[in-house]
Amino acid sequence: MDGPHPDQRFDPASITRPDPALLTYYTITALLTLVGFPFVFLPLYFKYHTLKYAFDDKGVSMSWGILFHRQIYLTYRRIQDIHVSRNFIQRWFGLASVAVQTASGSSGAEMSIEGIRNPEALRDYLYSQMRGAKDGAEDADADAPGAGDEALALLKEIRDALHRLAPQHDREEGAS
Amino acid sequence: MNGSNLPPETAGRTERAAQWLYTGLWRVLVDWFRVPQQPPTLPVRTADHLESFKPAFAFLRYLKLWFWIVCLLIDIGLTVGYLAAAIALFVAGFWWIALLLLPIALAIIIVPDIFAFIAVHLRYDTTWYVMTDRSLRIRRGIWTIHETTITFENVQNIKVQQGPVQRAFGISNLIIETAGAGGGGDSSKQGPNVANRGIIEGIADADRLRDLILPRLRQSRTAGLGDEDEEAPRGAAWTPDHLAVLREIRAELATMSG
Repeated sequence: MDGPHPDQRFDPASITRPDPALLTYYTITALLTLVGFPFVFLPLYFKYHTLKYAFDDKGVSMSWGILFHRQIYLTYRRIQDIHVSRNFIQRWFGLASVAVQTASGSSGAEMSIEGIRNPEALRDYLYSQMRGAKDGAEDADADAPGAGDEALALLKEIRDALHRLAPQHDREEGAS
Repeated sequence: MNGSNLPPETAGRTERAAQWLYTGLWRVLVDWFRVPQQPPTLPVRTADHLESFKPAFAFLRYLKLWFWIVCLLIDIGLTVGYLAAAIALFVAGFWWIALLLLPIALAIIIVPDIFAFIAVHLRYDTTWYVMTDRSLRIRRGIWTIHETTITFENVQNIKVQQGPVQRAFGISNLIIETAGAGGGGDSSKQGPNVANRGIIEGIADADRLRDLILPRLRQSRTAGLGDEDEEAPRGAAWTPDHLAVLREIRAELATMSG
């Protein structure tokens, strides 16, 4: 968490597959269950091999599973809070679990992004896309004057057009 | 942060030895278990101010009070159990078994207490809160390090909780909730790392923090649910300039029709 400053050129769109270290981590967690190893390892093995991520500029989707296929899509704007948790095995591999919460009623995380090599950079990216991370007033200042100016310019054109029309009207009145 | 919680005037020989051991333990945690030593950070924009803080020192004393109460109860139970077994063995004539069991019993009674005492210190030293003008980050944990990030724009409500013992120590918990069920049920029955909630535990100035955060909630014009069209009303607003031009247009039309 206090590693080097997150890479400025971090590109989430380049992440489509989890890091190979995730499979090692899955194997170790499965081995820790001793007798339960085959039952724990097989689902994790298939999860790792089918896990796919897709980050675009509005949201992120992840999908996994062979028999039971799951796909989750959420937009960055709807993220309520981000939880990054890492146990000491994950810390050894430089991995983390980035859990993203939306306002839905489910108690667990809506999306738990695992096996990312640079979790801090991913979290900073998600954070920067969250509501409230950017100053709303700043955005308004950037947008509103442009839109306002256009409306104002239109109104001024209408006024000037009317103004040009008005003397003409008066002249016509006077001529007739 | 190592051992910084010990006031200097009480740092006698025992305390210095304990501090030295504790520093060594920290080095092991940092080197082998990759426990971060630095407080967490938050992406900051230029005008923001960043505040990084820890629970109040009273929170450590509060945790230690519970530690002593729990230890005392468990140790009394274990001692009574050992004495009962020893007396039974004496009566049965196996007094040497009772003597052999003595060091084992002492180890069972004392060793977990030492670990629990260290765990209390580590829990205090690994808890960090960071606040900027826009967001909040909470870090806690040693085995599993958990970091929660919440922007104030998404916060739904703020709670300040204080029990009678916490009041005696002058500390309270500040709970910041976002939308969502967060598991439902009573918040006191859940761990501190639940979804849709950030818990700032054991701080002495909960009211000050609440007064810092509340204005940011009042500023927010949205429901905090990811509203996509929040900029639309602002774009449609009429400024005095617009109104002035509109009045001129009305005047022009009035002269034309009149």
